[in-house]
Amino acid sequence: MLGVSVRVTPASPVVLSGMPRLPWMWAAGGFLALLLCCGVGVLVGPVHIGLGTVLGALLAPLPWLGTGAAADPGQANILWSLRFPRVVLGVLVGGTLAIAGAAYQGVFRNPLADPYLLGAAAGANLGATLAIAFAPGMSLLGVNIVPLAAFVGAGAAVAGAYALGRSVTGLRSTTGLILAGVAIAAFFNSIQSYVQQTQTSSIRQVYSWILGRLVTAGWDDVILVLPYVVLSVAVIFLHRRLLDSLTLGEDEITSLGIPVRRVRLIVVVAATLGTAAVVAVGGTIAFVGIIVPHTIRLLVGRSYRVVIPLSVLFGAAFLVLADTAARTVVAPAELPIGVITAFLGAPFFIAVMRSTRGAPL
Amino acid sequence: MSDIVLAGVSVAYDGDPVVHDLDLSVASGEWVALIGPNGAGKTTILRAIARLVPFRGEIQIGGRAVTALSQRQAARNVAMLVQEPQMPAGMTVSQYVLLGRAPHLGYLGRESSRDRRIVRDIVRRLALEDMTSRPLDRLSGGERQRAAIARALAQQAPVLLIDEPTSSLDVGRQQSVLELIDQLRREQELTVIAAMHELTLAGQYADRLALLVAGRLVAVGAAAEVLTEPAIAEHYRAQVRVIQMNGSGTAVVPVRN
Amino acid sequence: MHKHQHTASAKLAAPIRVMAVASCFAIASCGAAQSAPTPAAAHFPVSITGPGGATVTIAQKPHRIVSLSPTATEMLFAIGAGAQVAAVDDQSNYPSSAPRTKLSGFQPNIEAIAGYSPDLVVAAEDTGGLVHGLQALNLPILIEPAAKNLDDSYLEIKQLGVATGHGAEAESVVAGMRSQVGAFVASVSRPARQLRVYHELDNTYYSVTSATFIGQVYKLLGLSNIADSATAATPDYPQLSAEYIVAANPDLIVLADTKCCQQDLSTVAARPGWGAITAVKSGQVIGVDDDVASRWGPRIIEFMRAIAAHVRQLEKKAA
Repeated sequence: MLGVSVRVTPASPVVLSGMPRLPWMWAAGGFLALLLCCGVGVLVGPVHIGLGTVLGALLAPLPWLGTGAAADPGQANILWSLRFPRVVLGVLVGGTLAIAGAAYQGVFRNPLADPYLLGAAAGANLGATLAIAFAPGMSLLGVNIVPLAAFVGAGAAVAGAYALGRSVTGLRSTTGLILAGVAIAAFFNSIQSYVQQTQTSSIRQVYSWILGRLVTAGWDDVILVLPYVVLSVAVIFLHRRLLDSLTLGEDEITSLGIPVRRVRLIVVVAATLGTAAVVAVGGTIAFVGIIVPHTIRLLVGRSYRVVIPLSVLFGAAFLVLADTAARTVVAPAELPIGVITAFLGAPFFIAVMRSTRGAPL
Repeated sequence: MSDIVLAGVSVAYDGDPVVHDLDLSVASGEWVALIGPNGAGKTTILRAIARLVPFRGEIQIGGRAVTALSQRQAARNVAMLVQEPQMPAGMTVSQYVLLGRAPHLGYLGRESSRDRRIVRDIVRRLALEDMTSRPLDRLSGGERQRAAIARALAQQAPVLLIDEPTSSLDVGRQQSVLELIDQLRREQELTVIAAMHELTLAGQYADRLALLVAGRLVAVGAAAEVLTEPAIAEHYRAQVRVIQMNGSGTAVVPVRN
Repeated sequence: MHKHQHTASAKLAAPIRVMAVASCFAIASCGAAQSAPTPAAAHFPVSITGPGGATVTIAQKPHRIVSLSPTATEMLFAIGAGAQVAAVDDQSNYPSSAPRTKLSGFQPNIEAIAGYSPDLVVAAEDTGGLVHGLQALNLPILIEPAAKNLDDSYLEIKQLGVATGHGAEAESVVAGMRSQVGAFVASVSRPARQLRVYHELDNTYYSVTSATFIGQVYKLLGLSNIADSATAATPDYPQLSAEYIVAANPDLIVLADTKCCQQDLSTVAARPGWGAITAVKSGQVIGVDDDVASRWGPRIIEFMRAIAAHVRQLEKKAA
């Protein structure tokens, strides 16, 4: 024990300067950005619907505020059946990909890590391709088989990478796991390419799926992924302090009594579960998981106490914005959302890097 | 009680034996310096005590076998300062020192007011209070070493293992770091085992020296007994002059013929 | 060695044959023998200039044709050249009597194609160095690419007729198609309010504009294609927003994804928000064979017949 007696009334919390805390300005800014992007998302679309109608439709279900019936049932139908669920799904997909990306970067201590590092994307693509090619239109328990196959594929790829990494390097280092992920992804991609080549009639669908498919989003998809997203985000959020301690050296983490392997496993499983779920309904949307956490690191701070919560907010806002662009830029046609995230994200990220030169990456 | 007993300890990396059948006892509150040429197994012994590497034989702390402790219990008993602590870029001194509280926190690492108070006191004790908000990558070498010591102290473990505490520091910083460790040891009754390559300093600060050669203990005792010209010539293959300075320890000075 | 001699002799022989053809044409043009269809063999060798500008010369009436294009396969069988077809690609599933093989038109394997010792190869596109590879082997290759409109399709049928020695049959197939198309067009009246059609390629809402072959058919029948608003960015095959499709409220939905994606009226009605579309409410959701709707062969007549029938129905209801 330290022989220093400090007079502190038990009720007053001890303030320790220099502790990383989520700057309230950024947190508020994140909420505002998300709200703003969702606002733009519900107001803008290939079909012009006035502000009054949108507000009326949003308030309609509320008994004390709504007018009971929307002015135009056709527009209300478009808003409630198509636009609103798509915006909500954008929030879920963007928030999950960004937080999962941040989590992977923390666990693997690798700035290039993204949610697809251990083969989740390759597995999802293969699962979806197999379902599209060999079981078109099939359902399982009322759910289209494509997202289910993608979910299973993503899970199988990551589990495979984990088992392989474990058997080869005994998980002493994360490098073995990353290499196993690379090998599994390459293997799954090769099978996927082969199936795609031999089943040429489904090529367009497969591409459409791979480039992101919020196009067909409905409340069904929202309900399908919501439990996984909530679980995944909650688990990663709770582990944000531990992710900070994982930035120490391997010996130091162990000598601090931190159950490093268990932490890694839990965070990777949570991030993979969320990723698999959103990839299953949204396709393999790239860049969100890398660009969003790194931008926050550069602009706000590197502590996961900051990066994790802000990644959810800004990832969600970014994807809703990107999706709004995807469905309006060439309206009434769609642009693949993956094209937009890269097109908007890459230059923005470069600008952030240039303006924060000298900041540690 | 925080005395340490190593009995018949052997360590092997991938089948290659590094430490052979080593016996060593360190009394509670004692400072023992592990000396010996590069590759003698100094770091390995520290890693074995901290349970970072599997070993054969028995290591006891305060009469309890370390293998009977969980990693977390071990961390409450033994703090380890590695030779080159990883200082995550962007992490502040406060946050870094707080990581030392990890073995006392719940699984999710949520700190209490008490943990913050302990960290604040340690930061003050090590004269780091003006740089609590400073990122680790903007500290000088001496400040970094103090931050690393602060992190180890935050563990509040009775045993402090230090791997080369003075490497890459100038002679003034070497002295001040060792003085600090010695003061802290007395204040908090710590048992210290340190791997040291600077023989004169080892002799000046440690109560006893343990000379390790190729994984075997060849001499244990006070500086004057262990630091002899023939022993250093034999084991370090170095030409030195050993000078006994009245009341100021044993100086080991390299000479050139 | 042997092969060299063979090609050398073929090269020598070619000019002689050309001279023979020239004299034959001269006789035919001044003689009275043209009224009766001459035996096809008399017309070889023939030179055909494809849409790409490349000219192919076919020395003799081919009897070992390899078709790498499902549409070309359908055309070849329609003009009576089916017996001359030695192998067709893996996608050529019509007619069922076509000698389907594992050959691929997307990833053509020159060696595998040469293995059938073809005397004419027909393909829809030059992918994977197909033309270059076959030319190196001195095998004639005819590219008949995706047609933009019915006239392109007629031209391709006639070219295949000439290339295979079935010129007359090809002419009569085209004449038959022309008259049927004319009849379908005449069978629909053009109401004041144009009927809107949405043609679906897959269940991610890829569609076709009037700039495509299938879009031309809708245009001929006087339909307004909702995908035409999307031509600015993607002139041919845009992916439409669900919102837009629902708002555009088509009177007729044509599902060309019945095979790929198992879509039908019930699956379309189950899509969020789609229940409000007129075509869904009135059941005017037609499933067509994906293949028929994506090829530009003679079966387009069947497709057009089905669409025309629905258009007449809709018009009757509207009246």
